[in-house]
Amino acid sequence: MSTLTIDQPGKSVLMMGNEAIARGAIEAGVDFCAAYPGTPSSEILESLARVAEHFGLYAEWSTNEMVSLEAAAAASLSGLRAIVAMKQNGVNVCSDFLMTVNLSGTKGGLVFVACDDPSAISSSNEQDSRNFARFADLPLLEPATFQEAKDMTKWAFELSEKLGLPCMMRSVTRLSHSRGNVKLAEIPERGRSARFEGVYIAGAFVAAQHSALHQKLEQAREEFEGSEFNWYVGPEEAKFVIVTSGSGWFYSREAVAALGLDAEVGILKLGTTWPLPERFIIRHLKQATEILIVEEIDPFLEQNIKVLLAEQAKTLGPIEVYGARSGHLPGFGDINQDKVAKALANIRGLEYRTRDEGYAKRASELALPSLPIRIPTFCAGCPHRASLWAIKAALKLDGRNGFVTGDIGCYALGAGPAGYFQLKTLHCMGAGTGLASGFGKLGQFGFDQPVVAVCGDSTFFHAAIPGLINARFNRSNVLMVVLDNGGTAMTGFQPHPSSGCDALGRPAPVVEIEEVCKAIGVEVRVRDPFEVDQAIEDLYDMLQDDGAKVMVFRRRCYLVEFKEKGKKKVFVDSEKCIGDDCGCARFCSRVFNCPGIIWDPEAKKAIIDDVVCTGCGVCATLCPMGAIVVEGG
Amino acid sequence: MEAGKGCLALEKEVLNEGLCTSCGACVDICPYIKVVKDRVAVIEPCGIAEGKCYDFCPRTPTDIAALDRRIFGKERSDSSLGSYISIEMAQARDSEIRSRAQYGGVVSALLTYAMDLGEIGAAVLTRPFNGGLMPASMVAEESSQVVECAGSNYIASATLAGLNRAMKQPRDAVGVVSLPCQILALRKMQASKHETGAKGVKVVIGLFCTWALSYKGLYEFLRGKVGPSSIKRLDIPPPPANILVVDTGAGAMEFPLDDIRGFVKPTCGICFDMTSEFADISVGMVEGMEDWNTLIVRTPEAERLIEKAKADGIIETKPLEEAHLGHLREASLQKKTRAIGEIVKRTGDERDLLYLRLSDVERGKFL
Repeated sequence: MSTLTIDQPGKSVLMMGNEAIARGAIEAGVDFCAAYPGTPSSEILESLARVAEHFGLYAEWSTNEMVSLEAAAAASLSGLRAIVAMKQNGVNVCSDFLMTVNLSGTKGGLVFVACDDPSAISSSNEQDSRNFARFADLPLLEPATFQEAKDMTKWAFELSEKLGLPCMMRSVTRLSHSRGNVKLAEIPERGRSARFEGVYIAGAFVAAQHSALHQKLEQAREEFEGSEFNWYVGPEEAKFVIVTSGSGWFYSREAVAALGLDAEVGILKLGTTWPLPERFIIRHLKQATEILIVEEIDPFLEQNIKVLLAEQAKTLGPIEVYGARSGHLPGFGDINQDKVAKALANIRGLEYRTRDEGYAKRASELALPSLPIRIPTFCAGCPHRASLWAIKAALKLDGRNGFVTGDIGCYALGAGPAGYFQLKTLHCMGAGTGLASGFGKLGQFGFDQPVVAVCGDSTFFHAAIPGLINARFNRSNVLMVVLDNGGTAMTGFQPHPSSGCDALGRPAPVVEIEEVCKAIGVEVRVRDPFEVDQAIEDLYDMLQDDGAKVMVFRRRCYLVEFKEKGKKKVFVDSEKCIGDDCGCARFCSRVFNCPGIIWDPEAKKAIIDDVVCTGCGVCATLCPMGAIVVEGG
Repeated sequence: MEAGKGCLALEKEVLNEGLCTSCGACVDICPYIKVVKDRVAVIEPCGIAEGKCYDFCPRTPTDIAALDRRIFGKERSDSSLGSYISIEMAQARDSEIRSRAQYGGVVSALLTYAMDLGEIGAAVLTRPFNGGLMPASMVAEESSQVVECAGSNYIASATLAGLNRAMKQPRDAVGVVSLPCQILALRKMQASKHETGAKGVKVVIGLFCTWALSYKGLYEFLRGKVGPSSIKRLDIPPPPANILVVDTGAGAMEFPLDDIRGFVKPTCGICFDMTSEFADISVGMVEGMEDWNTLIVRTPEAERLIEKAKADGIIETKPLEEAHLGHLREASLQKKTRAIGEIVKRTGDERDLLYLRLSDVERGKFL
């Protein structure tokens, strides 16, 4: 049973941060939910989609973040409550709409959740989305606890309705993906009906609209002055105050406790960080002579506080500010209790050691040598491994120093050993195709290298189609390879327009990738990357012709496939395996390098790791000796 | 043979130098070297120091005299045509075979006969048009399949890759029809210390070859002029015609040979062998006689097969006129002289003939 349907107000439930956000939306009576999957945000819509039928609400996986925000805004403009969720990169995708819907305003509560990924654990960049709130003049909330994740979400709908503006909420990986206790509140009856009235136009009397937006922001500031999400703990007369938001709250509290500074250091925890609740802050910094600002990624709070301190210099007097600018905290990457404690100890002239030096030395001596080297790789049975081998082979056969422009998805690992280092550029969704369309037009400047753009099936719909159309329209020489594994695999195999099912798992119309390509007017071939030699030959042939072309490598993610269809047993006939000899040289375990195949150094033969192997059988087709056998063919 | 190198050396000395003949000897013996159309590439170095690929390649150093001794039991007495027992004119008696063949149909007739006799169990051949411009290697398991491969295509295909694939199941009596470079590789495979299916090849029929065209060049030339999939026959009639005839279902088109010459594979310029000197039997055209072949019998086993075929009425032969033999010798010698000249131009050293290891005496004849 989902924690989102428990109707027991006051009950305390263990929840993942993203679940708590979803529960907050349910407690706000949300009607419309849309998202494009992206770590660490995906579980918000997944949780809501799971209870959509139960509550009679609407949930969709949108084609991209921009569309998700626009669709949610339509619900808002019709008087419904709507939520969108995305990872930090998604905020960039929908920024164009964000920077105009702020001017037109909204009606029903519209909550915009941006989940940042400090240290880019599962991202191609590290980005502090809070800057967008300041950029777009939108109110910003930052939950610090699991309880707040829920309660703030609920309040964000009310605030959005009061202001007639989308309300932005920023989470981070450590909140979205960890779990804590959340006290539930009532689930309200829903009964809104949708009706569109009025005019929502950005672009008419823009300066006046912009000015009105600033007024709304002032109204938000007033709301924030009395917000329950801002609080101060510690001695009333503290000279040293930590100012923090979001994940920094727990880290700061632990650091102060670890250094035994509870009696000297106060913590000013802010939940509403744009616009700043200025009077509230001034009130708590009156006694302070030094402050340390603790936040994750950019010195966003730090800069805004510094502006406030400068403006209030007469009232507050000189205050020494420590943080990213002073070098006490990094200003990039994730933070933790240790980093905060070190900063605090450094400023206060205290000694702080995470662990005893002797212990640390002994621990690394014992632990490190026994850890196997793990190179980031594709899963066992991943079709991308075969696809990238085919691409590598075709480019090598072509012999003109061709290269691959990459994109965002599991196949981004193709930049490393898993994909034989084939991806030479990697940026954002759709960039591979756009870049390729440019490379493919450099012939008049002496450029003679063929360019292959790879993109996933979900990425194709999300952002790659305009690049392909551009290549077609401008006669660019591009070979686009769509690595179609049947879902948005990297984020948990969420469905997309060609998956054949919707966010609730119900059958959905299929938008065929090859039909889209045909309509654009490019040559398109569909091949199975597990038929490796055929795939290589087709790619080679396509590289010989000018213009924009598309190869769809279609093979379902094998992790999903074998769970549904059962696993075939694969084994090595050790009589036939020639191992290190000429004619093989450990191709399967050394070069193709599927984690399901291991090398037995004593027997000097390959063996299949039954636990890891998914039974896809592609290795059997590649073994030069026919030594790998798939039971039942 | 000089061995002791691996695929990196093959790549450096042969592939990157444009010397690959696309014979396919190095293909389908490991997962690292691939061929598509007539392009061969090392996809990833395997790390093996002494590889079959380098050992088998017809463009890595080859001791010609040692190869002659191994195949013919002696060094060649004829510098222009290699070792042989007889040179005659021949044609298939079966007019059906002749009508499908490029010239006299001797190759198709002999192979069909050898399979029917049980002398060979299968034949590795090249199908000249495989639904497109590119020829493809094919294994004939039945004698009736042989004639499907009648006719010429001037693009070289990786016939020996087909042999390597076919030999993954053990066979002991296989016939092969190939070009001179492919036969050189095949003989190197048979002489190699490495294990190879080529050791099961019993009958080797070589074709005469002046040069081969690169697929890409010819494909791009014909694209827009002829639908590559409609091509039924290609022919380069003897001089002084100086044309390429492309026969589609809708009729023949002629293209000046000078427009095509740019697509000749660079490796053909250093090729020393016009008449498949290391084959058991070599077959080519006879100038001015479309229905006949020149037939060079080189080994005693081949001679026995030919005599039997003649006795059974499979082929008929007649003496090759002295003038024709003279032209053949002249053409072969010209190819050798040109090749040596080209090699020396590349190396800048008369003693360094790249892949050719010739005795000082032999070398002197062509310089």
